[in-house]
Amino acid sequence: MKTKLMLFAVVLFSQISVGQEMQKDSVQTNELSEVTVTTATRTERVLSSLPLPMTVITSETIIKSGVTRLNEILNEQTGIILIPDESGFEGVQIQGLDAAYTMILIDGLPLVGRSSGVLDLSRISVGNIERIEIVKGASSALYGSEAMGGVINVITKRPRKDMFSGNLSYRYGTFNTNDANANLLWKKKKFGANLFANFYSTDGFDLDKNTWLQNVEKFHNTTIQPKIYYDFSDNLKLTVSNRFFNQKIDNKAIIESERYRGDAKENEWNSQIKLEHRWNPRLNWEYELYATNYKNDSFLNDPDNVLFEKTYYNQWLVRPEIRTTWSINNDKLTAGAGLNYETLDRTYFANNVKFNSQYFYLQYDYNPTEKLNILAGFRYDNHSEYASQLSPKLAVNYKFNNSFSLKGSVGYGYKAPDFRQLYFDFTNPSVGYTVLGYNVAEARLDEFASQDLLSSRVAGINFDEPLKPESSINYNFGGYYKKNKLKIELNAFYNSISDLIDTGVVATKKNGQNIFSYFNYSKVFTYGLEFNSAYDFTKEFSVSLGYQYLTAKDKSIVDNFEEHQYIRNSDLQTVKIDKSDYFGLYNRSKHTANIKFAYTIPSLKTDINLRVLYRSKYGLFDTNGNGILDKYDNFIGDYFIANLSASKYIMDKFMLQAGANNLFDYTDPGQIPSLAGRQLYARIQYNF
Amino acid sequence: MKTNFLKLSLLALVLFTASCSSDDDKDTTPEVVVTTPVKDLYAPQSGGQGQPITGDYTKFSFSENKVVTGDKWDVAFRGTFIIVNGGAKVNVDDAGEPARTGSGAISIVSNAFGAVTAFPAASTFKQDAATVYSIPAVSGQGWYNYANTIISPIAGKVFVVKTHDGKYAKFEILSYYKGAPATPTAESASRYYTFNFAYQANSTTTF
Repeated sequence: MKTKLMLFAVVLFSQISVGQEMQKDSVQTNELSEVTVTTATRTERVLSSLPLPMTVITSETIIKSGVTRLNEILNEQTGIILIPDESGFEGVQIQGLDAAYTMILIDGLPLVGRSSGVLDLSRISVGNIERIEIVKGASSALYGSEAMGGVINVITKRPRKDMFSGNLSYRYGTFNTNDANANLLWKKKKFGANLFANFYSTDGFDLDKNTWLQNVEKFHNTTIQPKIYYDFSDNLKLTVSNRFFNQKIDNKAIIESERYRGDAKENEWNSQIKLEHRWNPRLNWEYELYATNYKNDSFLNDPDNVLFEKTYYNQWLVRPEIRTTWSINNDKLTAGAGLNYETLDRTYFANNVKFNSQYFYLQYDYNPTEKLNILAGFRYDNHSEYASQLSPKLAVNYKFNNSFSLKGSVGYGYKAPDFRQLYFDFTNPSVGYTVLGYNVAEARLDEFASQDLLSSRVAGINFDEPLKPESSINYNFGGYYKKNKLKIELNAFYNSISDLIDTGVVATKKNGQNIFSYFNYSKVFTYGLEFNSAYDFTKEFSVSLGYQYLTAKDKSIVDNFEEHQYIRNSDLQTVKIDKSDYFGLYNRSKHTANIKFAYTIPSLKTDINLRVLYRSKYGLFDTNGNGILDKYDNFIGDYFIANLSASKYIMDKFMLQAGANNLFDYTDPGQIPSLAGRQLYARIQYNF
Repeated sequence: MKTNFLKLSLLALVLFTASCSSDDDKDTTPEVVVTTPVKDLYAPQSGGQGQPITGDYTKFSFSENKVVTGDKWDVAFRGTFIIVNGGAKVNVDDAGEPARTGSGAISIVSNAFGAVTAFPAASTFKQDAATVYSIPAVSGQGWYNYANTIISPIAGKVFVVKTHDGKYAKFEILSYYKGAPATPTAESASRYYTFNFAYQANSTTTF
């Protein structure tokens, strides 16, 4: 399989094809290198000379792929894998780092509301996305905590010149899935506005009709995003942007063979007020106030409709920030400072908890020659609950000529212990185990002991030192090559992550169940290579190929392999294995690849788009008795997923689209419960 | 020596050799004692899942190779907990936990079963004590790993037991489920121990 994919390496195409000329808001074709991006440096930079690994997904790509939610389009990108965690929520894995280590931004501002670290990306509709910028690798030098694996910035549309346009669309698909969008862009002289509304509903899906529980239960959600722009003058511009999201999901559970039902409601509100102030052609200021609130309320009733369980989650983040960029000759100095005020009130927390932090960052974008670009920066975070963090970063890009450049970067990333790891106080009502956050564990353990509920305490555990943030050092080295119709990008990466926080047993209760808390444990390292290429065969036909090789291992396992060197074979006999048999961390595939074909038929004004995604085998659990994943364990088999879509334009105003996701209906109900079978859909869009 | 050999060979023999990979030198040492399997030793418990655990421990004697009642036991099992007949009761209020009547102790060794031939150093042997188990009763630190609702005995863990009367035995747990399936599922019947042991009835200090 690998060889077949590699043989394709000669066949390389660009994905942005001629179909764009039919669009009103046409963008330059085949000139992705001229795309400007803002997420990597918080200033506008040309993508091709950026010294950091970055992927850009344009709105054309999103429309042609026929997807409706953010998780679906991210899953098709090289180096980004959507994986579900134990609670079933899907998050992104970048460079081998889990979902909790990637920051998700809308228009540069973070979303909150992560159940157990994972932010549910299907909360974000793609209906009004201008482009998605993904920076890979540690980006804490600009964005602080959580930007350890990378940053995904969803940039929404805004009116740039006097215009009144928009689109309406409706899509219907398998599982009774409805997606309706309305997008309006208006600008007249000093005023501008953008209104986006989206409604999405689905019956969910069920891979095993014998069980009452479905793989995904029925849900619907609504997104409304109104934005207002006012230009006081060319030098003073105001943006007021709001986003409202609410979602209702059927909540079902089977407890001791009884059917419990209820529902879960999510309500999210993001609000941003930003003033862009240009003091003079060389000095820009931005003043910004951001507030966001995420609420999740769910309940379960027993079969007699009596309330069994009720949980709530209410998180606030308020962030004022000031940024400035000062252009000095060819260079730019960017500085920013801000405050984070964050509160969380939820079930399983004894009290409402608050985090306070202050930060400032500095970045110098240095161009000593036309060919050399050096980016150096750092960010300092001062936090009320954990040690202050200094996150530096250095990146260099050398442009040999217009066709070839090399880049390298080294940066520090960190992820603060989150609310749950510090304050959780949860006892599972049916099984009886308890999980205690690090800051509350000692007091609660003493309480359990005084109530005579403990049967034993694990020796050698103390909570004197504060829980440390997880931190990483990230290295990237790569290059960019472009010649005529061919474009190649390569990036080799290495992440060394320390102080990973994970649960550990602290005591055993008299009912035989354990009490867990959180500790800084392991050192993990990930390394790999990401390859992206695109080739235009003709104006009508282009192909792109992407591939990532990844190895992710726990350093303490590698160093102490004697503790894991025995496994049980199928006869339950103990067998000794080699250190080289250690496969790595759970839920990580060594090889992932994607190949995308874009074909346009100008006479029919039709685009056909086929994407094939590949994921190699991965393991979720140890199955042979040594506590780690080795090559003798049971793995979930590798698989291909194919997504096909065809779009036809009628009279420049209408677009009809039909498609199939998971065209060949690949499912693995026993081992991949989140993979739905084939989904067919049809969409109609009206542009004005 | 010869009579002992005869005695041992009179026991039911199903010789399992804990096999190692072919390049493992330790595998070439011939076994001096026989490996005796014990299948589906039932170790029920009541309670758990939020309620205090009760029920009697199932006591086992290596010299007699069977479940015993009374005081001449070496190790005892209840659910996932294993205790040794030495030291003091872990949970004083637990009626199902037998009082310790012997001088037993356990040392945990990491190796293939057949390769454990010398007795471990005396300082490595631990007895049960108040609130402390000789075999830690926690996933990953004792005899099992708990993952994905399945209890899997950790491979390569051999428990060398000083029996209640000062002799030595070693045992290795193969499965926690009835019938010792190669791949247990959530439906497998649990609390049935399948293990191999070897008993050194002499006063030599090797197996």
